[in-house]
Amino acid sequence: MNQVLVMAIKDLRLLFRDKLGAFFIIGFPILMGIFFGMVMGGPSSGSDRAKMKIAIVDLDQSALSAKFISQLANNGSIELIETDLEPAKESVRKGQRLAMLVLTEGFGETAGIFWEKPPTIQIGVDPSRSAESAMLQGMILESIGQLAGQRMGDLSSMQDMVRKSREQLANDKSISSGNRLLINSFFSSLEGMTQSIEALQTDADDSSSSPVENGGFEFAKLESIDVSRKIDPASQAGQMKKIKSKWDISFPQSTMWGVLACAAGFAISIARERTQGTMMRLQIAPISQSGVLIGKALACFFSVMLVISFMVGLGLLLGMRPGSYPMLALAALCVASCFVGIMMVMSNLGKTEESVNGAGWAINMVMAMFGGAMIPVMFMPQFMKSLSILSPVKWGILAMEGAIWREFSLSEMMLPCGILLGIGIAGIAIGTSMLNRE
Amino acid sequence: MGNSIAEVSALKKSFGDIDAVNGLSFAIQQGETLGLLGPNGAGKTTVISLLVGLLKPDTGSVSIGNSSCAEAGDPTLTATRRLLGVAPQALSIYETMSAQENLDFFGRLYGLSGKKLRDRVNWCLDFAQLQDRAKSYAGTFSGGMKRRLNIAVALIHEPAILLLDEPTVGVDPQSRNHIFESIEALRERGMTILYTTHYMEEAERLCDRVAIVDHGKLLALSSVNDLIKQYGGASMVTGEFAELPKEIELPGELTGKLIRFASNTPLQDVAALSAQGVAFQTLNIARPNLENVFLTLTGRSLRDG
Ligand SMILES: Nc1ncnc2c1ncn2[C@@H]1O[C@H](COP(=O)(O)OP(=O)(O)OP(=O)(O)O)[C@@H](O)[C@H]1O
Ligand SMILES: [Mg+2]
Repeated sequence: MNQVLVMAIKDLRLLFRDKLGAFFIIGFPILMGIFFGMVMGGPSSGSDRAKMKIAIVDLDQSALSAKFISQLANNGSIELIETDLEPAKESVRKGQRLAMLVLTEGFGETAGIFWEKPPTIQIGVDPSRSAESAMLQGMILESIGQLAGQRMGDLSSMQDMVRKSREQLANDKSISSGNRLLINSFFSSLEGMTQSIEALQTDADDSSSSPVENGGFEFAKLESIDVSRKIDPASQAGQMKKIKSKWDISFPQSTMWGVLACAAGFAISIARERTQGTMMRLQIAPISQSGVLIGKALACFFSVMLVISFMVGLGLLLGMRPGSYPMLALAALCVASCFVGIMMVMSNLGKTEESVNGAGWAINMVMAMFGGAMIPVMFMPQFMKSLSILSPVKWGILAMEGAIWREFSLSEMMLPCGILLGIGIAGIAIGTSMLNRE
Repeated sequence: MGNSIAEVSALKKSFGDIDAVNGLSFAIQQGETLGLLGPNGAGKTTVISLLVGLLKPDTGSVSIGNSSCAEAGDPTLTATRRLLGVAPQALSIYETMSAQENLDFFGRLYGLSGKKLRDRVNWCLDFAQLQDRAKSYAGTFSGGMKRRLNIAVALIHEPAILLLDEPTVGVDPQSRNHIFESIEALRERGMTILYTTHYMEEAERLCDRVAIVDHGKLLALSSVNDLIKQYGGASMVTGEFAELPKEIELPGELTGKLIRFASNTPLQDVAALSAQGVAFQTLNIARPNLENVFLTLTGRSLRDG
């Protein structure tokens, strides 16, 4: 046993000495995880890169509604598509548009006149993109505010109006803190703007009329329309709703790259023992052949556990919140066992380091591609999806996702974990008998 | 005979239709350096592989150790392996580990630890004269340094028998000399050594007894002197002279002023020629060597392979 540990420690040490090998085990998964996490985004990602595609329905068809639309369109981060009510709803349901806005009839009559009943703007938002919708609301208010400013040209009353609105906002519990922040900052800039304009107008009008009488004021009444996509909780989209952070998908996926690199790394190390002649020394040392292999297996197992722990740790720092740590530990153990078995078989794919390296990574790439380490399985075309069940990588990702965000129960974990363990045991048996036959 | 520490008897091993080892029997005596001299492909490495249990003989047997060691037995037994230290013909060290780490790793594999291990590692580094490079990766070593480390690793656990398979292959003369010196030092300490080589100079210099093998067969096994006496044939006398007296009967062929002849009694023959008035300017008497022995035994030169 002692000698097995001596072997394992030596192998771990050598693995991380190989700079390129170490990069593929740790560096590459980190880069991959972070990169894809950022690209894929997730519920918490404020999307400020692409323009928000908004369907707009103008039922008012007044000069003012047109003005509002053009003002909103001037906002650099919105792309407006004018359409009718039904196509607008449809486009949001299908996820083609982030949201739809409906300017109801009579919008032009009261918009921007703050002492009147505020105009109603109906908003329908894709529920999975609440962050964007908050921004959108801010922008709508901004445009309405501009409308009001233009309509009245009355700055002092506007300041008053802003202050009042703010107060009201502060008391409105129904506005989420994120939205509040957005709207607040909008108000701040509005206030700043009106103040600077006022400073230019040396002789401001004596605005005698105090506009707000009933203590309530709204730029516009934002009414929400229910366009939520009808989502079956068991469906893919329903599953996706469980995702809590943008790292939830990218980290299990990229962790598998590190795991694959461990398997290839140790398979190569067995071949290297042969080519550099040290296998012969090991064979004549007082350690059995199976002792040598158990040492390798142990080192591979450790390194896989290390990679998974490291990636989970990094994920935690970035905001990933695994749903169940015991399940995650179970997933990690199964993944490690599985890839120890794969490593054992892989080490027999060639006589030299180069041939094992080539064959090992070729197999890795196929497993990765079909297993969802390149493109997540859920985004794959159907034929690949059905082939994915053949890839251990798929089951590894599924087990980790089950623990991290899919909220798998123990019995749901059994399927991926059972498959992983099965592959592991088969691989160890086949690999060992192949190695022993030499 | 004597106190043998390893024995092979009627050993046979073939690969396909090549009989690499073909009915070999010999014993290694405690404390001796036994040379296994033979050309490339003679089966030397195969013998070593059989001796250490890396290969299983087709027929015949190998036994390691004697009644004085508890671990005595077949080399496939893990305990018995502790008696053997092997420096394989092909380098077998970890290139991305330092000299010290290589020694440390194999030491632990043989169950050493703590102070004992540290002492052995230091002893081996001294032996290989690698103290000043102890912390460098073996991959950065010269060929000679790697060879020395390759031998030192075999000694880390103080084996009862050291098996050296062509330890000077691919080594420059200086390193080679250094290897000779360290092996001689081991001999003085009473180490039992099996030394395979196809260089007869090495066998002559280092070995107490030499086994001559060819095509997997043992052709002769004895001390160097005995082998030469038995199979070496005549000495070769080469002389040059200024002038030759007339009417003289010469024992060999004459080319110009150079005379060359074989003789079992070279000194008497030269003395007789001098008495007849042959004034030698240069004289060379070449004693027969293992090369001649090999030639006699096989009809081929060692170097022909
Ligand atoms: N694993 C093997 N498979 C097939 N043939 C082998 C194998 N090992 C050795 N042989 C053959 O057995 C014969 C003896 O080989 P061996 O390596 O023992 O010779 P050697 O005396 O050590 O030669 P050298 O001085 O070149 O090292 C050779 O003909 C070789 O080709
Ligand atoms: Mg050889």
